[in-house]
Amino acid sequence: MSIIYDALKEVMDQAGVASPPALTEDTVIVGKDAVLDSLGVVSLIVEVEQALDAKHNVAVTLASDKAMSAKNSPFRTVGVLADHVLQTIAETGAAA
Amino acid sequence: MSRAWLFERLAQWGDAAAVVWADKALSYAELLRRVDDWKATLARERLGPGAVLVIEANFSPNACALLLACLDLGLVAVPVVPAMRAHKDEFAAIAEAQATVALDEQDQASWQHHPRPVTNGLTQKLRSRGHAGLVIFSSGSSGKPKAVLHDFELLLGKFEKARAKKTVLTFLLFDHIGGIDTLLNTLTSGGTVVTTPSRDADVVCGLIAKHQVHTLPTSPTFLNLLLISQAWQRADLSSLQVIAYGTEPMPESTLKRLGEALPHVKLVQTYGMSELGVLRSKPKGDGSLWMKFSHEGFETKVVDGVLWVKAATAMLGYLNAPDLFDADGWLNTQDAVEVDGEHLRILGRVTDLINVGGQKVYPAEVEAVLLECPNVRDVAVYGEKSPLTGAFVAARVNLLESEALDVFKRRLRAFCKDKLAPYKVPVRIELTDEQQFGARMKKLRKVSPA
Repeated sequence: MSIIYDALKEVMDQAGVASPPALTEDTVIVGKDAVLDSLGVVSLIVEVEQALDAKHNVAVTLASDKAMSAKNSPFRTVGVLADHVLQTIAETGAAA
Repeated sequence: MSRAWLFERLAQWGDAAAVVWADKALSYAELLRRVDDWKATLARERLGPGAVLVIEANFSPNACALLLACLDLGLVAVPVVPAMRAHKDEFAAIAEAQATVALDEQDQASWQHHPRPVTNGLTQKLRSRGHAGLVIFSSGSSGKPKAVLHDFELLLGKFEKARAKKTVLTFLLFDHIGGIDTLLNTLTSGGTVVTTPSRDADVVCGLIAKHQVHTLPTSPTFLNLLLISQAWQRADLSSLQVIAYGTEPMPESTLKRLGEALPHVKLVQTYGMSELGVLRSKPKGDGSLWMKFSHEGFETKVVDGVLWVKAATAMLGYLNAPDLFDADGWLNTQDAVEVDGEHLRILGRVTDLINVGGQKVYPAEVEAVLLECPNVRDVAVYGEKSPLTGAFVAARVNLLESEALDVFKRRLRAFCKDKLAPYKVPVRIELTDEQQFGARMKKLRKVSPA
């Protein structure tokens, strides 16, 4: 979870977005009231992927076509994204 | 005969140095004697007009003489450099070559015969004209090598008008359209071709100083290496008059630094394609990326931001791929250009274009900015697929001194902030220790990360 917060802060910082008062599991990433635009989301995903690789030696692809076409986007909120990360790691069996 | 003038011209230069190889100069008279020797050898090997011959060599006295012998006898020459040896048999098969001659590092020949007929319609068309041919293999954007067949005599036509006598370093390779252009341009004007055993910046600068080279045709990638290595400070480059750069878009930052390092040298952009030959052009001003085509023997037009060319010297066609010409003989260069009146600026290959959610990004533009960032030695920018935006910009960077990725990423993005639109700023940034250019000193963007 801290990886996602760090990545999100980093990306918002890059994009010049004033951070919302506090980032929580319910912070909306995609959709209405989102803190990021589409490019920001792409950046966030890459940041999280790179951080997982660097800090935990886990290589995953979070933005698969399947994830993108899912009825409920796995990138809706910070909490949902965290679940998606764990699930993707479990599915690919890449957990170290 | 349209090639008769060539040999009369070469004979007239007599004892002047034609080719410098392994630090030894070969005169025009000696070069022509070798052409005669090769003609005798070709006759002995039963290779006459219309025969297809692979010449595996780097620029050398025999390579130059053999190429001229092929031109004189009406053979189809297929130059292949030793670095491409792995593809030699494939190339010989595509070109339907009857023989291969390999010149080793001592410039000694070894022969191999391939009994096979010529069935390709294009080669047969060339044969019926009684003209010599030249086959150039182009790497092609899809990676599959395409065999470009030229009417060698048409290519030669543009050199009938003699130009100023220059000493030129053959930086571009023997199997490259730019390398062949350099050779013919230099020899037909009585100049001297200086061959180089390597493309190392210090070796090249050493040769320029030693042989008082006037002209260096090269690539932006090499020029960037030249600047970084500071090899230009370790040799006397006062003889150098012109650096002609082509083969890929020039980063503005490299051009600027080059102008500062070598203020006495004229920097000229060339535009050429394996399919078209090298097209003459003039820069808008010194150090400008804008150029104007001479339109000597060719026409240009821009359709939807892409350059099209119609040239008398264009290839007959590909031996192994569908034709690229439209019904009126225009060829789509696939190079995106910006137009300002009669001047043009090359943006990059349409095939290298990165489409970020509908917005176009040319790698060369991003690379030029990233190269200006402190501690960046080299960089390759490419597109990475994303189901969300179609693609995003990614960069693989070589640093001068080691720096933590996190720190570097933050610094690079801050650096880009007021220089690039947000969608052009690399999303994925990686560091690498590997060189990001090939034997041709051309940037490799296509290698996807492991």
